[in-house]
Amino acid sequence: MEEEFEKIFNAVIEGADENVANLVAQTLNGGAKAGDILNKGLIRAMDEVGNRFESGEYFIPDMLIAAKAMKAGMALLKPLLVNAGVASVGRVVIGTIKGDLHDIGKNLVSMMLEGGGFEVIDLGTDVSPEKFASAVREHNPDIVGMSALLTTTMIHMKDAIEAIDDIGLKKQVKILIGGAPVTQEYAEKIGADGYASDAIKAVMLAKSLMDLRKN
Amino acid sequence: MENNHPKIEVLNENQKNTLHSASLEVLQETGVNVHSEVTRKRLAEAGCQVDENRVRIPGHLIQWALNQFPKKVELYDRNGDSAMNLEGKNCYFGTGSDTPFVIDLDTGLRRNAVLSDIENVSRLTDSLHNLDFLMCMGIASDVPPSISDLYHFRAMVSNTIKPIIFTAWNSSNLEEIIKIADIVAGSHENLERSPFLALYAEPTAPLTHGLLSCEKLEVICRSNLPVVYTPGLITGASSPVSSAGAIVVANAEILSGLLITQLINPGTPVIAGGGGMMTMDMHSMIASYGSPEFMLNWCSLREMGAYYGLPVFGFAGVSDSLIFDQQAGIEGALWVLLACLEGGNLIHDVGYIESGLTTSYQMIVAMDETIGLVRRFMQGVSVSVEDLAFDTISSVGPGGHFLTERHTLDHFRENWRPDIFNHSNRNDWESAGAGSLGDKALQKAKKIVADCTPLPLDPNVKKHIDDILTFAKSRLNEMD
Repeated sequence: MEEEFEKIFNAVIEGADENVANLVAQTLNGGAKAGDILNKGLIRAMDEVGNRFESGEYFIPDMLIAAKAMKAGMALLKPLLVNAGVASVGRVVIGTIKGDLHDIGKNLVSMMLEGGGFEVIDLGTDVSPEKFASAVREHNPDIVGMSALLTTTMIHMKDAIEAIDDIGLKKQVKILIGGAPVTQEYAEKIGADGYASDAIKAVMLAKSLMDLRKN
Repeated sequence: MENNHPKIEVLNENQKNTLHSASLEVLQETGVNVHSEVTRKRLAEAGCQVDENRVRIPGHLIQWALNQFPKKVELYDRNGDSAMNLEGKNCYFGTGSDTPFVIDLDTGLRRNAVLSDIENVSRLTDSLHNLDFLMCMGIASDVPPSISDLYHFRAMVSNTIKPIIFTAWNSSNLEEIIKIADIVAGSHENLERSPFLALYAEPTAPLTHGLLSCEKLEVICRSNLPVVYTPGLITGASSPVSSAGAIVVANAEILSGLLITQLINPGTPVIAGGGGMMTMDMHSMIASYGSPEFMLNWCSLREMGAYYGLPVFGFAGVSDSLIFDQQAGIEGALWVLLACLEGGNLIHDVGYIESGLTTSYQMIVAMDETIGLVRRFMQGVSVSVEDLAFDTISSVGPGGHFLTERHTLDHFRENWRPDIFNHSNRNDWESAGAGSLGDKALQKAKKIVADCTPLPLDPNVKKHIDDILTFAKSRLNEMD
């Protein structure tokens, strides 16, 4: 079985999404547990991808394509993991704030979070404060992520946080914000729980918040 | 479809024709001073009119010289592999030579250059990917001055395999250096076949070929080894202040120098185009390397070199600034871009500050990075089927993103990446210590100097070279 996990590990690192899906299916047929495939194959591979990024060998496209490959494997594992009662790393509702159609940054964060084992519900772009609030009620996420590129739209992040607070759910989620004009000071000022300056740090921050939550 | 490569043009055809005619007229009417009797005699036999030191040169002799020399000069590395093909628009970069001072790596203060600086700069050049050749940078103040050129050459050849452009104080020292090079190459035949060096020598502006230069040319041309023989003038002082007048003087020196080399040994490989045309600052009296007039004049001289088909000597990574600061970066980088846009060929002085009086390790490292950036720019735009990415555009469609496309993965590594220039966001930069370019260049220089281990010379070769230096030194003591 270790040999199969190794093949999955390598296929994720190479970003071969179809191979990952096939290998995961085969390994499941061979009798492996979904949780083992997740931990010994997919997550271990993404950790290695993260190391290669840190060392300068891998860049963003390498990471995203690996994350895409991991997602292909996760699609098969997810129903089994739910049945087995294995929780995902965390659930994130994410979107670009009202008035803003720029979604490259938000997409980067989404893909990186998925690569990190998070379940991501992507609300898309131009998301109103009300839509953020109702998504929190509907999906019961651990984290809400909001992004803005423009100083003119960034102000709506405050409205969205208030909308979540108005329905009484702000304490149950952690709100992370990001985007080119956003700063740590701004996050504190509008009552967000955290700020990350890039997608890699967003995942690190999300993970550390999940650790705090579990403890 | 072949790429268009970025380029600039300072002179048009009419201007070049006029500058050429004016240069020939100066050579014919005014002539040049030649301080070597041997050289004068040879010029007279060839048909020049000689009157004491003054030699007036008819235009047909210049045309003859232009037909003699090989239109390209190829230099090799110490291992005998081809390293630089000096022709067309090929552009190669290297350090400068003979600055009295360096900025100390540890104290940051200016001091006299010593032999270990030349060893350090040789190792630095050996290690930096965008530097193609080495000049010695400093004049070592801690070895006997009359044979310090021999020490420079030993320091260089022991610490890099890259081609070396060297200076020699006189023809007898030059003969010793060639002996050393023969030993390194295994034989003089090997050295002639795959020269890993070229001599740098120069006329004295205005319009003078000095005795030492003529004697060095005799030795190097007879040895069948390549030589750089280009003017170094200071406009307003040793040439007219106007660009056209300065170019005519420089060009007349180039063409008469070329004739001298080809009369000694027709076919001698000469890098004769280009040269220094520093601007005299009429207040401080420095010879300015960062002035727009020098840039304009060098570009013109480079284009005259192309007009004749001469390999060209040039400048980059140089500055008038007294320290490695913003001015140094700006002037140095402008020169790198100009050298590439003009198309080379042998571009030296990378690392000069203080108008060529001082070497800065930081400047060398920062300019290596700049050269990498500019070289990427010079690749131009490839309009191939693969690069048009038609299928990828169609599959992503409006509103999607290209981050996870195979096409992105296959091609993003073609983008240039900096080593010490900052591409970080503010948070990362702050947590890494908020270093300036100067800080990072210094760190990189120190690390290379400490860690880099160039390919050593064979122990027997090393001993042989050491013996030559010991002998030269003992002869010196006898003379004292």
